[in-house]
Amino acid sequence: MLEVKDATISVGGKCLVKGLSLIASDGQMTCITGSEGAGKTSLLRTLMGFLPVESGFVSVDGELLTVASAHAFRSLMIYLPQEIQMLAHQLKAPEMPACEADEYEVWNQAILPSAVKAQQPEPLEPEAIYQLAEKTIREAPDKPIVIADEPAVNLTPELTEQLLTLLIAQARAGKTVLIATRKPQLLARADLVFNLDTFK
Amino acid sequence: MTTELFIHLILGLLLLLIPAGVLYWLDRPSLKTFGIAVGRMLVQLALLCVLMWALIELNSPWLMLAWFLGFTVYTAFLVLKRCKLEVGSLLLPLSGGMCIGVFLVGLWLLGVALHVRVFDPLWFVPVMALLIGHVATMMIRGFSTYVTALQADEEQYEFLRGNGLAHVKALLPFFRRSLLAVIAPTVANLSVLGLTSMPLLLVGLFLGGFSPLYAFVVMLLMVVGCISASVLSLALSILFYELSQHYFPPTAV
Repeated sequence: MLEVKDATISVGGKCLVKGLSLIASDGQMTCITGSEGAGKTSLLRTLMGFLPVESGFVSVDGELLTVASAHAFRSLMIYLPQEIQMLAHQLKAPEMPACEADEYEVWNQAILPSAVKAQQPEPLEPEAIYQLAEKTIREAPDKPIVIADEPAVNLTPELTEQLLTLLIAQARAGKTVLIATRKPQLLARADLVFNLDTFK
Repeated sequence: MTTELFIHLILGLLLLLIPAGVLYWLDRPSLKTFGIAVGRMLVQLALLCVLMWALIELNSPWLMLAWFLGFTVYTAFLVLKRCKLEVGSLLLPLSGGMCIGVFLVGLWLLGVALHVRVFDPLWFVPVMALLIGHVATMMIRGFSTYVTALQADEEQYEFLRGNGLAHVKALLPFFRRSLLAVIAPTVANLSVLGLTSMPLLLVGLFLGGFSPLYAFVVMLLMVVGCISASVLSLALSILFYELSQHYFPPTAV
C-alpha cells in the first residue's frame, strides 16, 4: 500500500501539488490524472523517491519513504516510465560499433582521434513498447507495487487494451497498481481516480 | 653534438629541398606554411630530446615519476579538450584513472614481463609514453562514449534505478558501451597489425638494434600492455568520475 499524506511537491521552485492525500491500496488499480503540467510525473517520481516532498510524507506499507531510503523501496517496485519508447537499449543492447582498421591506427598514429558522441536510440514502435512493458512486469513477479507513467500514450487502442488487461491482472493478483494517465480508456477501468487539478 | 653528426644532420635535412622545390615550382604560397611546420617539428623534437637527455643524465626515479604525473595530467587535459567535456570537474578523475591504470600495467610490463630495471629511463620513459599515448587515444572514445551515453540515454538509467537497481548496477550498460567503443578499434587494428603497414614501434626496435625475435616479443608485450592499460584506465576513470559525482555533486542551477 502506498500512502501520501498532506504532500506538497515543488519542482524548480514552482508548486505543482499542494496538500495531496491519497491511498493506493493493494489489489486495486489507482489512477492519477490531471491537465498537462499538473504534476502527475512529479508525483510518481516523488513516490519513487527521486523527488522529495516539500511537506507531508509518503509511506509504503506504513514505512516512511524518503529520498535517502528510497532505494530499498524501489526494489519492491516495477516502474514503467513515461519515455518508455526511448528504452530501445533495454530490449536490445547496443552492439560493438563498426570501426575501420585505419580509423584509429593506434600503434602508429601520433595524433588524437575525434571524440565519439553517443546517440539517443531510435524510439520504439508501439508493439516493442508493449513488449518491453510486458517483459518488465513479467520479469518481476514478486514485486508488490506497479507504477506506470502514461503507459498507453504511444500505444494503439488494441495494445492499450492488452496493457490494461495486464495491469488489471496485476491488481487482481494483490499488487498495488498506480498509473498516471489522461486516457479515458484507462480512467474508466480504474478502481480509484485522483485528479491533481483539485490539489493546487 | 659532434661536428660529424651535425654535418650528417645538415646533409639529411637537404632532402627537404625536394618537397620545398616542388612547392616553390607549383604552389609558392604553401612554402611558408611548410617551412613553419618543419620549424615547429624541429623545435618540438629538440625539446623532447632535451627532456629525454635530462631524464637519462639525472637518472632519478623521482624525476621520472614527476615526468610521468605531469605527462599523464597533460594528456588527460588534451583528452577532455578533444571530447569537449568540462575540464574542471573531470580532470581529476580522468588523470587519476589514467595514472593508476597506466602505472600498474607499466610496472608489470617493465618489472615482470620485460624484466628490466623499472626506473631505467631508457625503458621507463618510452614504455610509459607509449602506454599513455595509446590510453589517451582509447580514452577519447571510451570516456566520451560513457559521458554522452549517460546524457543521451538518461531514461535508461532512470528506468533501471526505478526498477530497483543500485546506482552502480544501473551504470553497467553505459560502462559496457564505453568498453565496446574502446574494444572496437582495438579488434579492427589487431587483425591487420603488420599486414597493412609496418608498426612504427617495430621499426624503432629494429633501428635500435633489437634482433627480430626480441623485437617481436617487445612489440607483442607492448600491444598487450596497451590494451590492458586502456581497459583498466577506462574502468578506473569511470569509477573515480562516479565517486566524484557522489561526493561532490554538481551544483543545481
